[in-house]
Amino acid sequence: MKRRIELGLLYSRSGPYALMSEACRTGALSAMAMVNADPDLDISFVPVERDPGGNVDHYGPLCADILRDTGARHVVGCVTSWSRKEVIPTVEKFGGTLWYAVPYEGFEASDHVVYTHACPNQHLLPLLDWALRSHGRRATLVASNYIWGWELNRLARETVTAAGGEILAERYLPMGSVDVDRMVEEIRFTRPDFILNSLIGPSSYAFLAAYQALGRDDPHFRPDRCPVLSCNMTECEFPALGARAEGLIAAGPYFRGVTGWPGAGNFGSSFEAAAFAAVRQLARLLAHRPGAEAESLTDLLKSPAGQDGVIDPETHHTTLPVVIAEVRGGVFHVIQHLGEVAGDPYLTRSRAPAAATPTLRVVS
Amino acid sequence: MKRPIRTHNLGGALAFILHRPHPTVQALARQLTAIGLEVQECWSELPAHALAADFVFFDADMGYDGQFPWASGAAPMPLVALIGSEAPGRVEWSLKAGAHAHLLKPVGDNGAYSALLIARAAFDAERALSAEIADLKRRMDERQTVVRAVTLLAARGKSEAEAYAQLRQMAMAWRVSFEDAAARIVARFAEGRDQDGQRGRG
Repeated sequence: MKRRIELGLLYSRSGPYALMSEACRTGALSAMAMVNADPDLDISFVPVERDPGGNVDHYGPLCADILRDTGARHVVGCVTSWSRKEVIPTVEKFGGTLWYAVPYEGFEASDHVVYTHACPNQHLLPLLDWALRSHGRRATLVASNYIWGWELNRLARETVTAAGGEILAERYLPMGSVDVDRMVEEIRFTRPDFILNSLIGPSSYAFLAAYQALGRDDPHFRPDRCPVLSCNMTECEFPALGARAEGLIAAGPYFRGVTGWPGAGNFGSSFEAAAFAAVRQLARLLAHRPGAEAESLTDLLKSPAGQDGVIDPETHHTTLPVVIAEVRGGVFHVIQHLGEVAGDPYLTRSRAPAAATPTLRVVS
Repeated sequence: MKRPIRTHNLGGALAFILHRPHPTVQALARQLTAIGLEVQECWSELPAHALAADFVFFDADMGYDGQFPWASGAAPMPLVALIGSEAPGRVEWSLKAGAHAHLLKPVGDNGAYSALLIARAAFDAERALSAEIADLKRRMDERQTVVRAVTLLAARGKSEAEAYAQLRQMAMAWRVSFEDAAARIVARFAEGRDQDGQRGRG
């Protein structure tokens, strides 16, 4: 007889980042189905879903709904950092846990959150390292106007400047805005070596379309000369992007077909994979320990299953593969697989990659 | 702030928490450990090796003078006050102890990171200002020496402006400050007078 354990799902099924939410939701549900069908596990998950509809003000109250009115102690959810920050006080208040399965900007280690996707030492820093080596040191930064873009750009500026490079421009668009003409015009004028794109949803699609058009006019702006880099673009947005994704370079823990984490490589995107991994980890922590579903995250991580799991008990971040890949023919092709790297949210455990230091030249 | 915040050098930094055993200490230690610091807890006095700490968090509620192995307000590292009671007397004592930032108790899941960054920035700014003020004070004190040196040089038949320019050139040649150069000139003239057997000083 399996113990039935309610598990919260807090994903926006409409709004500008619905594709990402759907990918996470798919991953979480498929892991739940797998747990439920597994005769070796004494637990089964019952999803308790709430849909904030892309409205950041609905996250806190709906999360409170789940934790107060149902038996769920764990919630898998949130896509934007803004919504995560809205939810943290609620999980703290009710002693619940948020499982967060998308890349984020780091500098956080909540006692009530598990971070199963990448933070900057697992996405941005290796990606910049690659771009500085292979394309040059003059960068332009574009992003959606909220904390993800602000922090990524701050780190990018620090890293590029420390490597002797320069930031030609740092531009922001309100979330949902497709007003990209000025950004692209500036890029045409300043001719950077690469562009870091931390725009979200429709803004990003509009930017990539305009940039691709620019590349048709001027070969400097084709992907082999001046690529667009992203730490948040995955296959889950290909349906909206189509051919506009061509040439994009992204960093992440997983791209379609890459095996090893968290399984056979049959996930649609890293968002799906990370949400899947979150639910599987939770199942490991709860299985064969009746009553564990009422324990706090701290206590779960002290259990034998917690101690030899992939979640760092100090930071609640995970060890993940670091993969850099390029879109060719509508598919991500791996350029570099850098192996497994432990999440280092405050960048205090690992140093910046060696290549971030400038190469010295003889000046005659 | 003129400089951007440096976030890279907290790894392996040593923080002391001067507070009696308490859930607040646990919560704070958890945050600091997650950030990447080493944490040592102590009460009721800071041991001598706390002088090597990079940060000290201290209890503002039960703290007292004499807990720290340095003079009040002269901590060699950034200090963060852990404030429970916001009684004005306790806040005043925390300020006198030299707090560079504070955290409100009970400490929960966050707050330590910004306290670290703010305390360090305030500490750096305080140090830079103290050094600048000390230098300016010293130079103010040397004003009389400069006047004497210029007078002595002018006594050799130079105009005051020429004597001043000469002193500046000497300072440059000796690679010392203007005031130090003036002190040397005054000392030389004094020696010369002593050798002449004219004892005019006490």
